[in-house]
Parts: sequence; structure tokens; C-alpha cells
Amino acid sequence: MKILIIEDEIDLLITISNYLIKENYICDLADNFQKADEKLSIYEYDIILLDITLPGGSGLDLIKTIKKFQVKAGVIIISAKNSLDDKIFGLDLGADDYMTKPFQLSELNSRIKALLRRRHFDGTNILNFKEISINTDGKSVSVNGNEIIITPKEYDVLLFFLINKNRVLTKEAIAEHLWADNIDMANNFDFIYTHLNNIRKKIKNAGGNDYIKTIYGMGYKFSDL
Amino acid sequence: MKFLDKVNRNFLSLLTTILLVCSLAGYFALHQIILNETKESLIDKENLLIKHITETDEMPNLYPILEVKKINELRVSEPEFRKIMIQDSTENELEPYLEYSNEIKVNGSFYSIKLRQSVFENEDLVIILAFSLFVILLIVFGISFFISKKMNKTIWANFEQNLFTIEHFNFNEKKKITLLESDIDEFDRLNKVIEILTEKLKTDYLSLKEFTENASHEIQTPLAVTLLNLEEVLQQDLNQETFKKVLTSINALKRLSILNQSLILLAKIENKQFKADKNISFKDLVDIKIQELTPLFESKKLTVELIFEQDFALLINNQLADILLNNLLSNAINHNNTGGSIKLVIRDHELIICNTGKSNSLTNKTIFNRFVKGTSKSYGLGLAIIKNICDTHNLEINYTKNSMHCFTITKII
Repeated sequence: MKILIIEDEIDLLITISNYLIKENYICDLADNFQKADEKLSIYEYDIILLDITLPGGSGLDLIKTIKKFQVKAGVIIISAKNSLDDKIFGLDLGADDYMTKPFQLSELNSRIKALLRRRHFDGTNILNFKEISINTDGKSVSVNGNEIIITPKEYDVLLFFLINKNRVLTKEAIAEHLWADNIDMANNFDFIYTHLNNIRKKIKNAGGNDYIKTIYGMGYKFSDL
Repeated sequence: MKFLDKVNRNFLSLLTTILLVCSLAGYFALHQIILNETKESLIDKENLLIKHITETDEMPNLYPILEVKKINELRVSEPEFRKIMIQDSTENELEPYLEYSNEIKVNGSFYSIKLRQSVFENEDLVIILAFSLFVILLIVFGISFFISKKMNKTIWANFEQNLFTIEHFNFNEKKKITLLESDIDEFDRLNKVIEILTEKLKTDYLSLKEFTENASHEIQTPLAVTLLNLEEVLQQDLNQETFKKVLTSINALKRLSILNQSLILLAKIENKQFKADKNISFKDLVDIKIQELTPLFESKKLTVELIFEQDFALLINNQLADILLNNLLSNAINHNNTGGSIKLVIRDHELIICNTGKSNSLTNKTIFNRFVKGTSKSYGLGLAIIKNICDTHNLEINYTKNSMHCFTITKII
């Protein structure tokens, strides 16, 4: 999977690309409008991460270039402005998703994966991890081939874990993924425990293993035993 | 006191004084003039009498206006005027007379003459004249008073209008302040000064606002860099102490970021940057929110009761309606006891959200201010944002505490 990251803040650019390389993506970088415009017209990408405020022009104008040369590519806007107008305008122009800075890398990964699934670049709608299998089309989960009954929120948490396997996810990151930042939870993350316990119970009852590790009671990691 | 009232009051008291002084002066002047005329007329009559005695040697007597007596010698050299009272024979009343007495020598004989004239009518005349003067002056002053009052009103009308414009001027509006011109130099000078001053203030205000907004946006990028890197650090094999430190840093930075976003949001609401473009049904929105927040209710074992009478619909921006309910409901959850309850009432003109919680009442005056927090770990901006949304959408929000803490949002009609 080839990703073009268009972002004028070099530190951010490098951090994001280092992370995505680790996640086995091929990354190309552009830190201004001209470079981005050039690369977009020459090479082919699967995903484009696009900052709106760029030296040399607005990222929104680049969407037109993308739509011209990169018909297949999915576009995720990353902006410092949490502005609904920009969001609607960007999505209208043909962007697929919109993220507000600061965001979490695990969240970015989850959005990229979701976009890839939507565009069927992976060629499959099934995510497998050992005996657990998630069907992203039907939003269903099966363990050892038997479908288990799971609530939409539990499904979201499990999918988030599977996409970010072997990665430490904090309670806050999970809550943010579920509630998209809108709710002031005043550090009440008890419901995360409830969700996780339910998921553990359901997988266990279906004969699966508990892959959710608790890290010092502050975070979680979904990984092989 | 209004300027015009002040002027009118001064004008009135001045007029009253002038009126009284003039009327009194007029009275005494007329009185004196008529007295002099009477005296002259008596002296004229004396001359006629002397002529009559010289020619005919008769002594006419006509009581009470004329008395002539022969005397042996001249006792008084000077003629004399005095006021006397004489019994009127017909009306049997005392009447005032002016008496002129003199002793004269005609054809070698001496006469004492007394000429009298009634001044009773004179007094009447003086009073009538003085009264007429008073009335004329009163009419003239009255007319001039009302004319000047009217004129002042027209002259000050534009000033009043301008004052109103200045009082209702809002720096957030794109419009320039426009003041009505008058043909009075002083007013026009004042207008010019005000226009220049407001323009200057407005530029300063807008540049300050722009600076704040830009600064807030710029803060997000370095925050993002730090947070992403800390998130990567968290992935390494850390001992518990380090893990906790990194996590604490991440959460602190996250708070900073949310705080910053809330402040930007407040500024945007205040600047009316959200277009009220949708008629939102709060019934539908509440239903969605309750469903969305069910996991949070469940984790705190809260029971939620929704009383629906009639839909509360409002022309508001989508995002703001969402924020409004999010904040109200987050509040109701965060300040609730475990096992407590939340009650929502939706009516035609009001939306009520009540929650159980600590028994002490909140201070109604300050709870809507920024950074006023209760005991929770919140930022103290949630209610300030709610208040701002209400203020900009013709809504009133009130807090009451009975058995539950209640927030009531009412449409101002």
C-alpha cells in the first residue's frame, strides 16, 4: 500500500511516516504545495493524507489534482482547524475522511484501514487473528467459526484492537475512538472496563483465548499469547 | 436629567421670574404715569378756574370736585396734592380722591381752591392694564417656549439617533458605524471623532481576535507532534513508572488541546461563525444521543427518563445543537451519583435536563462563567459553551435545584 503524506510540519511528517512504515506501508512525503502537486501528477498512490494549510496553496485545491490523476486513491484530510465548514467542503470535493490535529496514530491507522476496506484495496472484508475473525461488511465476529453476539460498541472496540494489534492502546485512546472527542467524560472510563470484560467473556465462552493484555492497569494491548 | 429637560426647566424658571418682575414693574409704572396725568389735569383745571374767576368774578362750587372759598390772606404759599377718602353720596361708600389745594390771588381778592378727582377708576385701569401686560407676556413666552422646545427636538433628533446607534454598536459586525449628519458643526465633529475611534478600536479588536484564533490553531500542530511521539514512546517496553509518566504527559497534553479547542469554539460561537441553517428537532436528537450514550449510562447505573410532550424545534447549526446536548448530557452524567437518574423533559418551548447528584446547590450566578468548576475534573467550559449557544440563539438557560439539579432551556418569545 502506497501512501503520500502531504504535511508542512516536518516533525509531524516524519513521525507519521515512521509509524506507517512500521505498519508496512510505503510512504512518500511532500512538505509543500508544489511538491505535492508534482508527485500527485507523476506517481500513483492508494491513500493520500492531506494537510489543508500548506505553504504555496491550500490543500483543498490539491483535491482537484487528486481527482484528476489519482482516481483510485482515498483521501484523508488532516487539519489543525476543527471546522465543520472545512470538513463539509473537503468531503464535498471528494475527500473520504477528515481528522483534526492532534490525533492518535492508532486512530489514523484505524481510519486508513477503514478507507482501504471501503475501497476494497485489500480485496477482502475479513480480518483474521488466530481463532477470531471479523467480517467488516456484516459487522459480525466469529470465534472458531461460530458467530458470537456482540454489541456495535463492542464490535468497534474489537476491530480497533485487531487493526492496532501489538500496540499499546490507552483507555483514553479507546474512548476517543468510540466517542470521537465530543463527550467530556471527565476521566470516567469505567465503561471501557465493562466493554472489555464483555468482549473477553464472549470470546472465552465461544472457546477463544483472551488476547487483551492489561498494561499496568492503564492501557491495553491486543497480542498473541 | 436629559439635556432638553434641563434647558426647558431653566427656561421656564427664567420666564416665570421675568413675567413676575415685568408685571409688577408695569403695574407701578402705569400707576405712576396715571397719577402724573391726573395731577396735570387738576393743574389744567385750576388755570381754567382762575380764568373763569377773572372774567366773571363768580365762585363756582361743585362738591366734591370743586370748592372755592374767599379768604383774607394767603397762608400757604405752595400748592399741595394729597390723597383723601370722601363719602360717596349715591353709593354711600368711601371713595379715593386726589385733592389739589392752592391759595391764589385774583383781581386783588384771595381765594382758597380745592380741586378733586376720583382715582377709583384709575386704580381699576392700572390693574386691567397690568393684567393685560401679564397675559400678553405669558402668551408670548408660552409660544416661544413651545417653539424652542420643538426646535430643540428636531435639532437633537439626529443626536439621539446617533446615541442609539453607538449604544447598539457591535464590534463583531462587519458594518461600519454610520452616524447621521446634522447641520451643526459641533455634532458633526463629535460624529467624526466617534467614527475614527470606533474604526480604530474595531481594527484592534479584529486583529487581536485573529491573533488569538491563529495562535490557537498553531498550538494544535506542535501538540500533535508531541502527542504522536509520546504515543510512540508508549509502545516501547517501559517499566510501570515510566509508562505512567508518559501516559500522564499524554493526558495532560490532551487536556490542553481540548481546552484550546473549547476556547476556539467559544470564540466562534461569540463571533456567530456558525450559520443557523437547520430546523433541528430536539426530540430526534435526544433520542440519538440517549442511544449513543447508553454505555456511559450503564457504566454508572443511571436510569434515564424521557418525558415528551411536544417537539422542541429550533433553527440552529447542526454542530452546535450536537454540542449543546453533548455538554448538557455529559454534565448530567459526570455530576451524577452511581445508581442515580437523569430526567429529560421536552416541551414546545422548553427543554429540561435534570440529574441527581450532590445535595448542595450550585451558585446560580457563577456556574455559567468560564473556568468555574465544581468538584469534577472537568475544564469548567462546558456550561460556558452552553450559555453562549443559548445567548446567541434567543434562548434562556436557568439552573434550579429541588430534589434534582435541573437546567431549563426556554425559548424567549
